[in-house]
Amino acid sequence: MSSRASLMFVLHAHLPYVNHPQDSSFLEENWFFEAVVETYVPIISALERLSAEGIRPGVAVSISPTLGAMLENEALEAKLQEYIESRLELIEKELDRAQHDPALLKTVKLYQKLYSDAAALMHKYSGDLITPLKALQHAGQIEIITTAATHAVLPLLTRPEAVRAQLAVAAEDYLDRFNRKPAGFWLPECAYEPRLNSYLKLSGFSYIFTESHAVELAAATAPNGVYSPYRTSNGLGLFARDAASSREVWSAKFGYPGDPAYREFYRDLGYDGDYEYVRPYLGADGARRPLGLKYHRITGAGPDLSAKQYYDPEAALARVEAHASDFLARRMKQTEEFYSGRGTRPLIVSCYDAELFGHWWFEGPAFLEAVIRKIRAERLPLQFVTPSEYLNSCQEPQEISPGISSWGENGYFDPWVNETNDFIYPAVYSATDKMIETANRFRNQDLNSLSTRALNQAARETLLAQSSDWAFLLYIGSHAEYAKGRLEDHAANALKLLSEVIEKRVDEQDLARLEQQNSLFPRLDFKVFSSVSKF
Amino acid sequence: MPGLLKPLPAEDRLVLLPKNPGTFFIFWQFDAGRTEAFRSGALQPEVELRLVYADDKAHASSRRVAWQPARAYLPVPAQGRVYEAALYAQRGGAWEKLLGSNQASAPSAAGQAEERAYASLEFHKRSQP
Repeated sequence: MSSRASLMFVLHAHLPYVNHPQDSSFLEENWFFEAVVETYVPIISALERLSAEGIRPGVAVSISPTLGAMLENEALEAKLQEYIESRLELIEKELDRAQHDPALLKTVKLYQKLYSDAAALMHKYSGDLITPLKALQHAGQIEIITTAATHAVLPLLTRPEAVRAQLAVAAEDYLDRFNRKPAGFWLPECAYEPRLNSYLKLSGFSYIFTESHAVELAAATAPNGVYSPYRTSNGLGLFARDAASSREVWSAKFGYPGDPAYREFYRDLGYDGDYEYVRPYLGADGARRPLGLKYHRITGAGPDLSAKQYYDPEAALARVEAHASDFLARRMKQTEEFYSGRGTRPLIVSCYDAELFGHWWFEGPAFLEAVIRKIRAERLPLQFVTPSEYLNSCQEPQEISPGISSWGENGYFDPWVNETNDFIYPAVYSATDKMIETANRFRNQDLNSLSTRALNQAARETLLAQSSDWAFLLYIGSHAEYAKGRLEDHAANALKLLSEVIEKRVDEQDLARLEQQNSLFPRLDFKVFSSVSKF
Repeated sequence: MPGLLKPLPAEDRLVLLPKNPGTFFIFWQFDAGRTEAFRSGALQPEVELRLVYADDKAHASSRRVAWQPARAYLPVPAQGRVYEAALYAQRGGAWEKLLGSNQASAPSAAGQAEERAYASLEFHKRSQP
């Protein structure tokens, strides 16, 4: 059957840059390890499986430059391998402990497979998960896009130089990593304002994604709502997120992830287990922390974790199948309603944080795979398309002027600007302004190697200070001290390095330490921050 | 929790940021001379934040706040317009313009008919054990 609608899945994979080479078990590095095992490996495996069976996934994957840098960091890869081996060792003990408890044993075996699969995929690609993604893109199975260098909320950067630097560094990073120029740009937090159009276009990007109301605010000139792509006045392509398909997957309250059969995120062996038994797997501080082995299901809406019942992998998988069918039935209904009214085929754009699938919603990767398989198996008149593919084949999109918006809570910038985190902005702006001023001062000067290295590292530190993650972590009260410390350290590092260059007294030992710790963007040139940039 | 532990350079800066259709966030920093002027009483401790429309510089609103903690939230006079801010302080009974800001656009409010699921906040905001 010919397709009656196009579906576009965009998975935005991002983690803040966390790299502490001096520490063997740094708590926040676990974000990366958990995401690799629970999200990135299962998604890559599913994409490879589908591709091998001749089912083209056709999804878009956004890999943030900070995540890309971590995926290619050999020191982190070594720690990741230790993390997986440590979990497999614990799982061996758990298999023994669960041998007379069939309900528990099923789930322990599930984790054994999860961690063994992660170890196998890491081994297959010599620890580099960029390789399979690159291969999938090269084979035309997926499209990979990028986002701002350190995931800054761009409308909150008032200096044009700062926005240009975030975009130029991202474009160069993508070229280095994927051996081609990027076409698509994921606006961090879907945060859009019209001022960005020209910078995006000048940086070579062809299209972006926005929240639904960016288009709804321009409703007078966007007759198809979110169901077709548009372009801005300077020819930048624009896709708007479909709120309905997002809600079904995102919402823990209304969406699939809240199903009672699915795995409960917050009950974990790290908190439940006998302390002496789990102690070897905790950090150096001995504090209880999640170990990733979660044996219970959501069970009910109540917050009482002690009331949770054992997880049943088969029951959860049955719900995955049902939810995939329901998701597609709803898309069919959306399609029929649109098609009957307009006589044209809609484009439904569903955008999600990749880490939702697997990390937060354990069954998410299976859901994704089931959705893609069902379209083929049930011969549904729906077709997955990548953004470039769609833009290359559709009629010239209509021009609109989208509204200021984001996909953050309430639809604007509240999560990143409020009483819990507004105190960070003087530090961000002090570093940014000083970086721009110093780049302008030295951009045409012959500098010695040490000064150049210091200016380039100052640019890295400035970019890292601009990351959206610090404000968000402060807002949700999770790892808040860490977020505040990171923000302050990056701003202070940038200011110190810039002063040292101006005063011709660069501390080489300290510079080398920062270069080792914050080692992303190896080709970064500080001139990217200058007011008249070559970039 | 709020508050930076590491000192920042003493320099003049006034930054206006959009928060939502109804609110701007504004913060300011002063160089050492102006900070001393506030501390010594040469400048009165209350500052006036004035918003003007960026296109014609017409007055839009003003609000008086204490010079510290050097940040404030300002109501947006009219959605969908572009603004600039200026910070004034009184010296010897006369208002003196100390700082001018960047331009910032106030978003227009969307008429969202349905409850939205906004990104990972749905999951993050659940309490940890």
